[in-house]
Amino acid sequence: METSRDDIGIAIRSAFLNKGIKQRFSLFFLIIISILLIFFDKIDKKPFSVFRSIINDTIYHGALIANAPSKAIKNSNNYIQKHINVYSDYVKLEKENNELKNKALKVDFLELENTQLRKLIEEEQESLSNILRARVMLDKQSPYLNSFVINIGSNKKLKNGMAVLHGKNFIGRIVDVNFFSSRVLLVSDLNSKIPIITEPSANHAILSGHGMKKATLEYLSENHDIHDGDKVYTSGKEGLFSPGLPIGLVKKKKDLINVELFSDLSQITFVNINITGRNSK
Amino acid sequence: MVNTIRNIKYSIFTFLPTIVLFVIALNGSAIINIKFVSINVHYILVYYWALRKPQYFGYGFIFLAGITSDVVFGVPLGVNALCLLVVAAIATYIRVVTVRVTLLNDWLSFIPALLLANFTYFLSLYFSGYNVDYLYLFENSVFTFIFYPILWAVFTLYNRVTQT
Repeated sequence: METSRDDIGIAIRSAFLNKGIKQRFSLFFLIIISILLIFFDKIDKKPFSVFRSIINDTIYHGALIANAPSKAIKNSNNYIQKHINVYSDYVKLEKENNELKNKALKVDFLELENTQLRKLIEEEQESLSNILRARVMLDKQSPYLNSFVINIGSNKKLKNGMAVLHGKNFIGRIVDVNFFSSRVLLVSDLNSKIPIITEPSANHAILSGHGMKKATLEYLSENHDIHDGDKVYTSGKEGLFSPGLPIGLVKKKKDLINVELFSDLSQITFVNINITGRNSK
Repeated sequence: MVNTIRNIKYSIFTFLPTIVLFVIALNGSAIINIKFVSINVHYILVYYWALRKPQYFGYGFIFLAGITSDVVFGVPLGVNALCLLVVAAIATYIRVVTVRVTLLNDWLSFIPALLLANFTYFLSLYFSGYNVDYLYLFENSVFTFIFYPILWAVFTLYNRVTQT
């Protein structure tokens, strides 16, 4: 039996245009609305951004409530895990403490020298007054976008492009600011490209995220002399972030130069935002 | 009294798929990642219910769940909503043109739905200036397809329980 063109037409019309059983909207209408929303999302005009901010803030706070049970389970799991590992952690920390004590004297001297040199180049000093603390509201990282949501936004004068730190380590930048929340794009994301400098080899490169995999260094000079264990800092060449924010350590693997981040991105609860980044001026 | 309780029970049963859809969207669990396995539960949920029991699942709710997912995942508004509606549209079309309900029919017709939805996802993100990991998207399609029969069995069982 042949299927006539009319039958297919009727089936498509019935599927897309008819409202169907107990449906208030037709699929065609909703698909058009979705396409329009995608286009409106790119428009950076005030009414659209206000509308977007309201939707984002509402859903983030709803998601916070929906996530509460899973967060509680995760926290209790972590709590138990910490208790199980208490002895091995103690041994590890004792060893680390001894090493740090040995290094402390050297650090004091370097800090003094660093302060003097910074004064010499009139570099802006980091103080508590130019650091904003924020809490991670949602850390459900999409496989397509490695990011999380923090609980402050334009109410605390946050702006797109500000550097986000975990302790003193650079972990990402602000990409979307709402009234009471903002989204942080992590350095591990596919869309993240950060200009860096390595230490002590002093090579400039771009740190590129790769989603779930480790971030790598790209656009290095051909005759670079980067070694395993070299430290990676922001270079500040893009004109957004302060130079010298620590990011991670170099781990070479065949032709790839991976960067092992100082901060574990899956274990972040509080972050610092450097509001005196160059873009804020 | 007995009838009222029965009606309440029936309402809860019929609303449960929609509630699950929203909880998954708000929870950010629409895509489950376990090591290299990645499954899009949202697609399976929408496809199954739009195909088998559309009266339980309003298109408006699918759209709203998609928008919620967009916000939680940080992609442009409308991307997930569009993909879920594409899945629902194909499921509706399949429902109109098929008569027999079998796992094999559903499973095979899920392939075009999955491919078209992920293609829409890729196109929307591409035009919004986002980088997309093609390999990941392909892996996601394959594992979502493989995982479909398991959720199909769970939902069918749920349907039977609801009917009784």
